[in-house]
Order: sequence, then C-alpha cells, then structure tokens
Amino acid sequence: MSFSDPMLYTYLLVILAGFLPTDVFRFAAVLFSRRLDEDSEALILVRAVATALLAGVIARLVLFPTGDLAGVPLWIRLASIAAGVAGYFLIRKSVLAGVVVAEVVIVGGAILFR
Amino acid sequence: MSDSPKTGATAPEEAPRVWFWRGVRAGVLSVQGIVLFAGFIGFGGLIRDVGFPLGAALLSTILVWALPAQLLIVGGFAAATPAPVIALAVGLSSVRFFPIVASIMPMIRGKSGLGTQLYASHFVAVSAWVESIRLMPALPVHARMPFFLGLSNYFLWGSVVTTVIGHLLAGTLPQALANGLVFLTPISFLLQLIRNARDVFDWSALLLGLALTPAFAQFGGSLDLLWIGIIGGGAAYAIGRWKRVRT
Repeated sequence: MSFSDPMLYTYLLVILAGFLPTDVFRFAAVLFSRRLDEDSEALILVRAVATALLAGVIARLVLFPTGDLAGVPLWIRLASIAAGVAGYFLIRKSVLAGVVVAEVVIVGGAILFR
Repeated sequence: MSDSPKTGATAPEEAPRVWFWRGVRAGVLSVQGIVLFAGFIGFGGLIRDVGFPLGAALLSTILVWALPAQLLIVGGFAAATPAPVIALAVGLSSVRFFPIVASIMPMIRGKSGLGTQLYASHFVAVSAWVESIRLMPALPVHARMPFFLGLSNYFLWGSVVTTVIGHLLAGTLPQALANGLVFLTPISFLLQLIRNARDVFDWSALLLGLALTPAFAQFGGSLDLLWIGIIGGGAAYAIGRWKRVRT
C-alpha cells in the first residue's frame, strides 16, 4: 500500500491528525492538573478559539452540506435549526427535546419539500 | 450489586468491580448518553455520506473519542484539507480537554497511580465530564475512579456500536430519515454548545463562529475553519475582556 492509498490515508489521518493532537492535551492535563488555573487568560482565549471553530464546523454542516443533505432546501435546514433552538429553550432547556423538535422539522420538511 | 460496602470493610478485589458496574448502570440511565449516541448515529450517517471508511471512523471513536475532533477529521477529508492543517485544527479543538481533564482528575483520581490517571484521561469527553460533575460528589473517594471508568467505557463502546448502526441505517433508510440522521450531528452539537455556554466569552465565540462561516467558506480556502476559530475566538475574547472591564 502506498501513502496515497485512500484507505490507508484515512487511518493515518485518524492516528496522526486525530489521536495524537487530542490525547496530548488529555495527558498534559493530567500531568499539570495540580498547577492549572482554570480561569487563566490563555485558557479563556483558547477555549473561545475552540468554541468558534466548532461553531464553524456546525454552520458548515448546515449551510454547505457535502452529501445528500444538500438536496434539502436551505430554508428547511435553517428552520430546523431555529425550531431545535426554540424547542431547547421552551422545553426545560433539554438538549434531547431540542434535537427531537429539529428532527421533526428536517424530516417533515424533507418529505414535503425536496 | 445489592451489597452495600461499609467504608474499609469491602473485599479489596470486589469493590472496584462493583463500582465499575454501577458506573455502567448510571450511563445506561443517563439522558446525556442518549444524546451522545444520537450524535454518533449521526456521525455514522455522515461518514457514509462523505465516503469516509467505517473502520477508520470506528478507530477515531476509540482513539480520538471527541466528536468535534472527529468531525474535523471527516470534514477535512471531505474538503481535501491538507493533513497538517487538519491536525492543527484538531489540536485547537482538543485544547478544550486540558481544562476539562484537569478539573475532573482531582475529583476522580483517589489513590490511583499516574498510569491509571493517564489511561482514565483518554476516556474524558464532554458527556462523561458532565455526568461525572453531576454524580461524583455523592460517591466515596475510592469508588470514583472505577465508577468513572464504568460510565465512560459504556459511553465509548456504546458510541462505537451506534456509529456502526448510524452507518448501516444511512444505507437503508428512506431519504428523508437519512437526511434527519445526518442532521443529528449539527443540531445536537449546537444545543450542547448552547447549554455549555456560561459567559460572554462562550456566547460571543459561538455566535461569531456561526456568523463568520458564510464569509470564510467563500474566501478562506482550505484554512477557513482555522480562520473562523482564530478570528471569531480572538474577537470573542476581546469582547469578553471589554465587557469585563466595563462591568
């Protein structure tokens, strides 16, 4: 197998670009857990960067889906997100409730409008 | 499971196993677990949608054990992002584990050695963290490590199974339900980010990250996620500092 083999590439990607850069922080946290100040400025900044980055991932999955989801009109995807967020806040701040409401809208919308 | 260990009087070899299984049971009863598995069913559907191999995806659930990082890997693969950029983005998103692990480890470590703590730290993810913060304080100190390992092992291996289920379902479901499956990932993550948002830093970062995406998807090229993180997160930090100074 060559490095350009797409199967091998994904496994290497998981180990080198996934496992290593993730667990290095878990392990470092164990080693430094006695000395860490959770309110330090650097950690606040880093947490903000990570949160914005994850929000970007979410937005991209909704706005620019790569697969079959792209066939569902954009307004239905946005309506589903809005309904899910509304459901979360209206139904006892339950993530599960919000997810269910969003799913009803996206599946219903896909049945009716795609 | 019905024995009630009196402090110091339990058989030393049996007690940890008992607490391990109590941790598993707590996981089974956890709503957090249902949302977690829903996210991994969505992940299983997503990888099928973008053509990422199931084996590598399962390996990512076991070895990475962080859905945001796994989404970056799969999303980066789908967008043909260079591997070093994916690694950098994953590292940035996984920096969050530093405070999460560091805040939970003093609570669960008890008298366990460094090796056990390093091993246990791999199982720390947002879901296990949330449930541990909720459940741990009521437990005796010696019970916490085995209880945590039971809980988090149930979450991890349950997620491996549900990744497979999501992958299988995506191939057989009616189109609308398959769309709903793929959509589980963004909606469950968005709601968990909203639930976890505690202060103006978190809210600003979340909203800016969402708002910047349309612009950077057009102009950011293969580094767009990184720019969204740096600019959105940097601006969120500045806003948080500004609000703090003013109040």
